[in-house]
Amino acid sequence: MIKVDKVTKRYKENQFALYDCSLEINRGEFVFVVGASGSGKSTLLRLLLREESPDSGQVWVAGKELSSMPVWKVPFFRRNIGAIFQDFRLLPNKTVFGNVGFALEVIGKSKRHIMTQVPQMLELVGLHDKQDRFPDELSGGEQQRVAIARAFINRPLILLADEPTGNLDPENSWSVMGLLERINRTGTTVLMATHDVGIVDSMRRRVIELDHGQIKRDQNRGVYGMGPQST
Amino acid sequence: MSLAAVLTISVSLALAGASLLLKQGVSTATSQWKGGVQLLIFMQPNATNAQTKTVEGQLKSLPEIKSYFYMDQASSYREFKQLMANSPDLLQSVTESQIPPSFRVVLKNPNDAPSVGSLFQQQVGVKDVNFNRGAINTMLHITSIVQFVIVALAAILLISASVLILNVIRVAIFSRRREVAVMKLVGATNWFIRIPFMLEGMIQGLVGAIVAAGAVVGIQALFQYVVRHFQVTILTNFMVSSHDVLMTELFVIAMGIIVGTAGSAFAVRRYLEV
Repeated sequence: MIKVDKVTKRYKENQFALYDCSLEINRGEFVFVVGASGSGKSTLLRLLLREESPDSGQVWVAGKELSSMPVWKVPFFRRNIGAIFQDFRLLPNKTVFGNVGFALEVIGKSKRHIMTQVPQMLELVGLHDKQDRFPDELSGGEQQRVAIARAFINRPLILLADEPTGNLDPENSWSVMGLLERINRTGTTVLMATHDVGIVDSMRRRVIELDHGQIKRDQNRGVYGMGPQST
Repeated sequence: MSLAAVLTISVSLALAGASLLLKQGVSTATSQWKGGVQLLIFMQPNATNAQTKTVEGQLKSLPEIKSYFYMDQASSYREFKQLMANSPDLLQSVTESQIPPSFRVVLKNPNDAPSVGSLFQQQVGVKDVNFNRGAINTMLHITSIVQFVIVALAAILLISASVLILNVIRVAIFSRRREVAVMKLVGATNWFIRIPFMLEGMIQGLVGAIVAAGAVVGIQALFQYVVRHFQVTILTNFMVSSHDVLMTELFVIAMGIIVGTAGSAFAVRRYLEV
């Protein structure tokens, strides 16, 4: 599903964001990417979204090689990828319904399709009764669930999450993680960059640790594992 | 809809349109003057037929001459009476036989007046040649400067208007960059993102241009009213035809649409490069 092959990315001369990284993630996996700030987690996610291109190496996502993909194909590629972020990235002037429906509007779905799909999706994330609220009337956890609904409404093959619980209290963090698990159970590959030790340690999923742009550890059923016990 | 963009477009296009109309007016006026410029060859009142025929033959053979006609003593006297209607004393002291007949010459190029005129100066039977050198030269000189200044002014206005519009649109798009970023994230194509901005720019350009077109018509109507009402005869030559006004209006509206649409497309470009 995802294959990163000897990828190097630098933003400045001699300052590597990623250096000779290779990894492979299969369909339906749930993977945590951990590491200190500046270790390359965000760069990895940006490469997978084709917001950046590698300086060398290849990035394969959902069967497509991204660095040779022509620019006009990128939007169609992104329709197969859902993404959520620490700062939610909702549109403040649209309601909950509007924000989720926007993802369908943009790719040219019919009004009828939107009218049937969006309520189902809001039901799934538990915000059916708040569809006419605006984002600033919602709690952080609720906003992130709106973002998840928007990311998942196209049934993407892959869901990328860049520190989705970074702004949330533990209770909301767990409700977000519960949603991500449910989405993963539908067969969607989930890749989540995080700093949240508690979540990583208790979920016991595959953990990839990045350090200064290189893969330091790739462990099945792993833990956040700072310090000496990491292999 | 950004009021700033609409106002910028309308003010600059109104100025540019008015400048173009003024240029058209100057051009009309000078072409009438140019067409009316006559080299006057006054014959002696007692010049013989042969002498007159010689001058006429020369006029026929000169390539610089567009047309000419001979004004005989009788018609010259009638013209003289009209011109001097306010001076009865002078009228009474001059008889028809004292009036010089003349050739009225229209040249292909008014600048040739001095050189052509000098050919006839010493001709037998020619009393005097009047080509009004100073006045013609000054007029041509001034009108060419005025035309140049107006065209340059219109060009500068249009360029600065384009830059201003681009900036106004850029600010408008900057305030919506989150929306653009989300569109990119969920897989909107660049054209899907661009077209609403271009439509908005087009409408703003059109509204601004319509205001500008109205202002141009207003300026033109005011000018005509002043000329008619106050009998400013010196300005009557500045009149522009309704065809000129229509063409200027079309130009203003086309420019508004082009600048608004293209400006939006250009301004949104950088937010699409992700």
